Amino acid sequence: MSTDSNDSTAIDTHSRGPLLLLLGSGVLWLVISGVLALIASIQLHTPTFFADCAWLTFGRTQALRETAFVYGWLANAGLALGLWIAVRLGGEAMRAGNWVVVGALFWNLGVSLSLVGIAAGDASGHPYFQIPVYAQPLLLVAYGAIAVAGVLAWAGRRHETGFASQWYVFAALFLFPWLFSVAQVTLVWLPVRGVLQAVVAGWFAQGIYSLWLAPLALACAYYLLPKISGRVLPAYSFAVFGFWTLIVMGCWTGGRHLIGGPVPAWIASVAIAACSLMVFHYLVVFLNFRSAIGAKSTALYFTSFGLLAYLLAGLVEAVISLRGVALHAQFTFVEQAVQQLSLYGAVSMVFFGALYFAVPRLVGKNWASSSLVGGHASLVTVGVVLLVVALTAAGFAQSHAMFGATQPAKFADVASATRPWLLVATAAQVALLLGNLMLLVNFAQTVAALVPFRAAANSVSRPALKSVLS
Amino acid sequence: MSTPPSPQGDRRFDSAANGDAELVESHAQVASKQADEKGNYSLLPLGLIFGSSALIFWAAVYVTKFSGHYDPKMFDETAPPSTGVEVVAKVDPIVAGKKLYLSACVACHLPDGNGIAGVNPPLAGAEWVLGSEERLARIVIHGLKGPITVKGSQYNGAMPVFGKVAGSGYNWSDDKIAAVLTYIRQEWGNKGAAVSTELVTAIRTKEGGRKEWSPEELLQIP
Repeated sequence: MSTDSNDSTAIDTHSRGPLLLLLGSGVLWLVISGVLALIASIQLHTPTFFADCAWLTFGRTQALRETAFVYGWLANAGLALGLWIAVRLGGEAMRAGNWVVVGALFWNLGVSLSLVGIAAGDASGHPYFQIPVYAQPLLLVAYGAIAVAGVLAWAGRRHETGFASQWYVFAALFLFPWLFSVAQVTLVWLPVRGVLQAVVAGWFAQGIYSLWLAPLALACAYYLLPKISGRVLPAYSFAVFGFWTLIVMGCWTGGRHLIGGPVPAWIASVAIAACSLMVFHYLVVFLNFRSAIGAKSTALYFTSFGLLAYLLAGLVEAVISLRGVALHAQFTFVEQAVQQLSLYGAVSMVFFGALYFAVPRLVGKNWASSSLVGGHASLVTVGVVLLVVALTAAGFAQSHAMFGATQPAKFADVASATRPWLLVATAAQVALLLGNLMLLVNFAQTVAALVPFRAAANSVSRPALKSVLS
Repeated sequence: MSTPPSPQGDRRFDSAANGDAELVESHAQVASKQADEKGNYSLLPLGLIFGSSALIFWAAVYVTKFSGHYDPKMFDETAPPSTGVEVVAKVDPIVAGKKLYLSACVACHLPDGNGIAGVNPPLAGAEWVLGSEERLARIVIHGLKGPITVKGSQYNGAMPVFGKVAGSGYNWSDDKIAAVLTYIRQEWGNKGAAVSTELVTAIRTKEGGRKEWSPEELLQIP
């Protein structure tokens, strides 16, 4: 295998069908969630917008936006990129690719069903777990079908120790079904009672980010940097400590959402301590990736932006988890800002980077348009920065109006204090939507080169590939 | 690959500098914890060791200080350690007594404590209320039957059994009896001393369950 750009294309050509299906659905959901996010954002400052349409009232658009983003975009893209990395590093052709195709079809069917159900009022009502009851088992089974390929890629790997990206993908593949099935049983099928529900919901919401999305994003980042720079990661010898800190501590931080609530005091205290311990994980990640900052490559631009956002989100989480600060952050837009920083600024941006790196290799052709790549990069950067800044400022304004005044705050005063910043947030959502439309167009044009798709996908059979690789 | 490798800086393609097998092997070597050619092992940076120790120390102190003693019912993280003794808040007998009076006594003795002429005797300024605590407590614990003279007038109503004794319809605890007695001795301009729970308990244990008192029997008691 040569050391230039055309590394192991035989494996990529073989697995392009299932992976491009996942990536394409992901990008489509990204645009759909962008439209929903725009509606939800407008409703925050103009409450009459769609107010007489029950299917699109704020409570539902907010849940729809979140579900389309996490289970539509992040899940599809994260699984595709995770499988792609696991298969490549495993050094063997993808096994169970047909399962991935079937799983992807049913997963997206499940997400569509969920969105229709939520719009009709069937949301289950827990953060990051709005999926209606009847769509949950379908999603779990579809996920299993997709994940089989990742497990087989790990089991059949050529190199015994494996690389950091492989640990992260493998952990993420197993942790999601754990989180999702426990949440289903304890929140929906045999619901636990009282405050325990809030505890489980907080654990799940945090776990989805810390134990599923963040590991997938880190797998991409750990893969891209040495791949593009050609150098060994500077702090790789203790990357394993960073990994275990995340896996062990990640879920414990969930209790910070319950500060001040009627839950045993130790749950919040342990969560706050866990948030502090996670700083070690962020430190290790930073030491490994410091050389990526400012690199001249589209993939590394997105990746380094995402990693900086990841570190910032981690440090901010450690600070706002402290009880005195949580008073101001917990129920204001600051919490929303941190969510957007984590999910959009960190995870999505790293996924964008990996997407730009992976698609030309899977398709076997460069991206169709250079200007669309540049446009997407600048619009998304502006959008994410504006969105996070605007929501943070709105949160401070809200907290100041509620706690700063000597008189009890009036709702109208609090609302008018946040209004200018929420208008900025809507502008940010417009930028994000336009940027992601550019990505969708570019992706469609690039993949269109493969039409007729079936003939291209079948050009390499598995036995033939096996002989090439061995 | 159908296209030639693109020059650096092309946004449409990010070229890779090394292959996958190469990447895995070079990193596995770093992580293998084997000594290098000179026999040196790679060490963790001191800063990282001290930094992580400091974080663990801070986290441990925080959890110990604000654990709420891992009590499932403790919502206040700053609560002092439990001593094992149940601390019961002191109840103001006047507040508790008023509540009890308004829940039962008020029906016959009326809110102003003046009773109903000929049937239910007054409590305000009554010698039976302000006089012997022993007699008063017995009336409420065991009840009273027979005509009674209060403030020079005769009354014929019956006083029900309130104490925790056999045949009682109310089963009020000694605390409650003491509270309501204190209340009627200090309300409506009455200026009697408070009645203690201990006195009520002592009388109830001494007399046990018995039929209602008659005024004559009560007058025998100091």
